[in-house]
Amino acid sequence: MATDPTISLKIRTALGEYLKRDPDTILLTQHLRDDLGLDSMAVIELLYRIEEAFDLQIPDQDLTGLTNVGQVVHYVEKRLGKIESPAPVKKAAKQSKSKSKKKS
Amino acid sequence: MRSRVVVTGLGIVSPIGIGISNFWKAALEGQSGVSAITSFDPIPLDGYRSKVAGQVRDFAIERFLNSPHGERVDRYAQFALVSTQEALADSGLQMAKENSHRVGIIVGAGMGGMVMAEREITQLYQQQKPHRVHPNFIPTITLNSASGILAMAYGAKGPNLTISTACSSSAHALGQALHCIREGRADVVITVGADASITPLVFAGFCSLRALSSKFNDQPGKASRPFDRSRDGFVMGEGAGTLILESAAHAKKRKAKVYAEIVGYAATSEAYHMVIPREDGIEVAHTMQLALTDAGMTPSQVDYINAHATSTAIGDAVEATAIRRLFKSRTDKIAVNATKSLIGHTLGAAGAIGGIASVLALHTGNIHPTANYDDPDPACPLAGLSLSAQERRVKVSLLNAFGFGSNNAAVVFKQATK
Repeated sequence: MATDPTISLKIRTALGEYLKRDPDTILLTQHLRDDLGLDSMAVIELLYRIEEAFDLQIPDQDLTGLTNVGQVVHYVEKRLGKIESPAPVKKAAKQSKSKSKKKS
Repeated sequence: MRSRVVVTGLGIVSPIGIGISNFWKAALEGQSGVSAITSFDPIPLDGYRSKVAGQVRDFAIERFLNSPHGERVDRYAQFALVSTQEALADSGLQMAKENSHRVGIIVGAGMGGMVMAEREITQLYQQQKPHRVHPNFIPTITLNSASGILAMAYGAKGPNLTISTACSSSAHALGQALHCIREGRADVVITVGADASITPLVFAGFCSLRALSSKFNDQPGKASRPFDRSRDGFVMGEGAGTLILESAAHAKKRKAKVYAEIVGYAATSEAYHMVIPREDGIEVAHTMQLALTDAGMTPSQVDYINAHATSTAIGDAVEATAIRRLFKSRTDKIAVNATKSLIGHTLGAAGAIGGIASVLALHTGNIHPTANYDDPDPACPLAGLSLSAQERRVKVSLLNAFGFGSNNAAVVFKQATK
């Protein structure tokens, strides 16, 4: 998948700052939870930073498709109108973990 | 038979020092940790009647904490993490060897995560962008954020509670920890008081209450002066104190150093007024008596009182009246001091920090001075107060703590049995 290098770098930089690691070591194929160790709260914090960085609002229903770095990059590109068609996003069969794990 | 409970570890973050040795050295020298507030940027300081506070200067969590748990919590919880790290190390307790379900945490906090709370509220109202409220806002401002992060940091799975009764919060934390261990519900309770809310809104709120000192803005070190005739209100402080409480049997089994024994506690309400104490001191005297009764002691056994003594005109006078009411002619033989004269009023942390001063007095025989006690107020006739450190053999000490909401607490400690 071709990605906008500026957007990709910005997102990987945000991830790198959050994870305290070199953005160059973060790959588009990496899964946010399984590979990068982000729990559901950390994913929400990351998306909060991305919303700020790109002046976006990410609706709740879009969260389910954002499970790896590449999906986040393509989602932002789509939202910013940088690509014409969205990246293939696998529909989640069940509710996102980011919503289901919290106590109220 | 109920378990005896002892104090086996201490830790502190205070305006006169981070770490027990720094704190205690400065306290015995009568140093003041009160300084001028430099900025509530962008709000001009001119609008504040009071301009001084007991601030913990140059605090950066990464310099003090050996774990990442301080990164996503507010300043008061960071203080709690640092004071607890010290107290646990001091106690020699090794969590890996403990039954984690038998180690509890009880935190007293009056205000909680106000740094983030104020920032997020301000931004929301200014920018009107609800989606920009930080996702960590709720977990941070929830009052049990400190007790929660402490449990995660140390794997303590026993009772985990937060007590919020304004300025008496952590005296109650000590008392509830005592009960918890006495009743056999835990072997160890990490007992903490923490607050850090010298923030533009909270500070303005206390100014509006006319509760803060404003006469000594040009001499910050003089502003907190409990029992002195020229006192004119309290000085806000910030900090945290941690005391490791454990059953005497558990401490003995692991050959722990014992600083003191905690033996009595009382909790009462005056059911009188949100911010004003009863002037006759009856309820305060009753609270102290109840705590002594809980300890199986009488007023004749008390050698030292760590007074609540915030430096307000009415509060100090009521406490002195109550002490005289209970201890009668023996009052003048009892050493009294006011830790807030050194560090200001640390709100929810005050009980724990006063508890640390009490325990250290029992352990070392040294009672720190009451700073700025230059002109004794005849309305507060307590001969045991001193501008200098006192060396006394202290066998029994009493800690007072009172909170807004008509709330009183008293805690009794005694010298460790040899």
